[in-house]
Amino acid sequence: MTAFGQYLVNGLVFSSIVVLGSTGLSVIYDIAGFANFAHGDTMTVGAYAAFAVVGVVGLGGPTVAGLPATVFLAVAVGAATAAVVAVITHRLLYEWMETDAIGLLITSIGVAFVYRGLVRGVFGETFRSYGVEQSGPIPVISRSLGVAVTERGLVMVVGAVLLIVGLHVLLQYTTLGRKMRAMADNPGLARASGIRTERITLATWVIGAGLAGTAGVFLGLFNQLTPRMGFSLLLLVFAAVILGGIGSAYGAMLGGLLIGLVEQLPPVLRSVGVPVDDEYSAALVFLVMVVVLLVRPRGIAGEVSA
Amino acid sequence: MTRDDRVEDRDDGVGDRDDRVEDGEETSGAVSDGAADTGGDSRGPATRRADPATTSGAGGARVGTTESDELPVTAAAAASGTDRLRAYWERLTVVERATAALIAGFAGLLTVATIVGLLTPARLLFLVSLAGIYVLLSMSLNVQWGYTGLINFSVAAFFGVGAYTAGLLASGSSPITGGEGVLAVPILGLPLAAVAGGLLAVAIGVPTLSLRDDYLAIATLGLAEVVRIFVKNQSGITRGSRGLLGMPPLIPGVPQSVLDAGLAVTLVVGVWLFLRRIHHAPWGRVQRVIRTDEDLASALGKNVFRLRMESFVVGGMIAALAGVLFVHLNDSLFPSSLQPILTFYVWVAVILGGAGSDRGAIVGGITVVTIVQFTRTLSGIVPVDAGAVRLISVGTLIVLVMALRQDGVLPPQRELVWPGAWQDE
Repeated sequence: MTAFGQYLVNGLVFSSIVVLGSTGLSVIYDIAGFANFAHGDTMTVGAYAAFAVVGVVGLGGPTVAGLPATVFLAVAVGAATAAVVAVITHRLLYEWMETDAIGLLITSIGVAFVYRGLVRGVFGETFRSYGVEQSGPIPVISRSLGVAVTERGLVMVVGAVLLIVGLHVLLQYTTLGRKMRAMADNPGLARASGIRTERITLATWVIGAGLAGTAGVFLGLFNQLTPRMGFSLLLLVFAAVILGGIGSAYGAMLGGLLIGLVEQLPPVLRSVGVPVDDEYSAALVFLVMVVVLLVRPRGIAGEVSA
Repeated sequence: MTRDDRVEDRDDGVGDRDDRVEDGEETSGAVSDGAADTGGDSRGPATRRADPATTSGAGGARVGTTESDELPVTAAAAASGTDRLRAYWERLTVVERATAALIAGFAGLLTVATIVGLLTPARLLFLVSLAGIYVLLSMSLNVQWGYTGLINFSVAAFFGVGAYTAGLLASGSSPITGGEGVLAVPILGLPLAAVAGGLLAVAIGVPTLSLRDDYLAIATLGLAEVVRIFVKNQSGITRGSRGLLGMPPLIPGVPQSVLDAGLAVTLVVGVWLFLRRIHHAPWGRVQRVIRTDEDLASALGKNVFRLRMESFVVGGMIAALAGVLFVHLNDSLFPSSLQPILTFYVWVAVILGGAGSDRGAIVGGITVVTIVQFTRTLSGIVPVDAGAVRLISVGTLIVLVMALRQDGVLPPQRELVWPGAWQDE
């Protein structure tokens, strides 16, 4: 039972990254209307912006929830930078391009390359790390529940939950959220009803890319930083969106949770006698995705708009 | 998305095609006929040939200048080779002429560089082979995306399966043959790899080909990663990241570099002729209908899934051939060659050349190889990160093409028309 609990903890920590990525991607998918292949590299941009903050400010000073306060500043700057970069890209490119969803998809691949090339040009190809010291598991939780939860793991999960709840409140109970849902449902009707769709689109880019930037910093805390980190995660994030069903932010949250758990599954499978190497975790995710698509070609929550 | 939205999207797509028709009209009557052919495909070439007056009349009316008047078919047939070449040149659009001039200039530059000694002949042949590989990959994707409209993001997997099939059967370091190539005649790797590529296409296609566009894109990308992860980690079969080293010469006695380049050119020409044939055949026309309006194709009684699968398999086989060239050219093979970045390079080539156009695929393939090799050379001269420069230049290229000339440099024009159809006027 403890082993299973530990798996669940590891899975949830990784899920928190995937969920932030997939929810942001899904919102952009809904409003901007295309599969944004630059989403992964938007995460990379956020992660490296945070890296710059850590480099400038340093990790000294007070600690909050067991992590240096700089880390929280870095998360905020990472999210903001990602949002700014995405809005600039939207203004420069997507806004005035006259093309269909596939054309925008292909354009976003080019945008992804440019982001990654710039990050690589500035920070180099070598692995980087925020340098936050590895702390052991939190003693209270280890004693009472018997599972190892690190402070950064806890911060990531709680952070992701707060952001997702925040997004839910925004979508359901604010005017902006209602406008966003209206626009996702029927852009033409939304415009005819007097909604300034251009503003909503900008707000969506800020939200989606902000979530991506946060996910990027979390990924940097979880692993190391490399210019390819975002793109490597993008496939999992896409799998999550697809699994949940394109066009459903809630589906994307669920998909992200499932994908994160499946990704951490190989040790569990090994413990029950199925020999699956850790290297196959991503492959496992894609196979699960294809199987789900065979049964439900539009994902689990497909056709239900957010 | 609701079903109505989808229909709307389709309409948009058709609208784009109409734009393309207008773009082409500056050239000649034949061109506008060709572009119109994309939309109204149900009208076969036979109908058109039976009714040449209407066709030429329409073309002539729409465009002020028609070179077709100056080129009656009898004169063209009787004319000498140079005249025919000149007549061909006269028909080209400005962009086509500029592209042809650029390619000729580039080829001249490479030749001069080789004569002067900046480029060794072996290096030149290596570049020709590499260009051939990219051109084959572009033509392969062009079948799937350009003809049929399948968003295939698993090009690297087909390429890799072709390369590993040939490599594992012929390489001296292959684990499955126990240190000795089983292929007495290594050239047999080509057909065997093509078969493997076709089988992989069926395996990937069965679960994915009935999915909607963007689902298909991501599912194929995911499955390509499954293939790469398998190749990388099943070191008992593929030697994993230690890679396959040492390939036997394709034909003993002939210098390897000459052989590679020769084989690359032969394959490109062969595949080109094959694609030209099937693209003009009813099969190719149905594929274009599927791309334009899938529902129309099913309404006409076509088995859309089967036809998409056929296109997917043909493309997969061609990509596998490129893989065989690659493993023989490099004399080694590593799982890193199956990275998704290769898929995106090939997409750049096809988009740049113009989806649906095989000559566009050739131009695009050569351009991408040039960029990749140039940034590599550049980093040897100037202290810059070649990878970063390459990413930025390729990325900018995609964005520029999509923003300024979505149909690519050489969108399909006359080549969609049955050759006899416009010469018979």
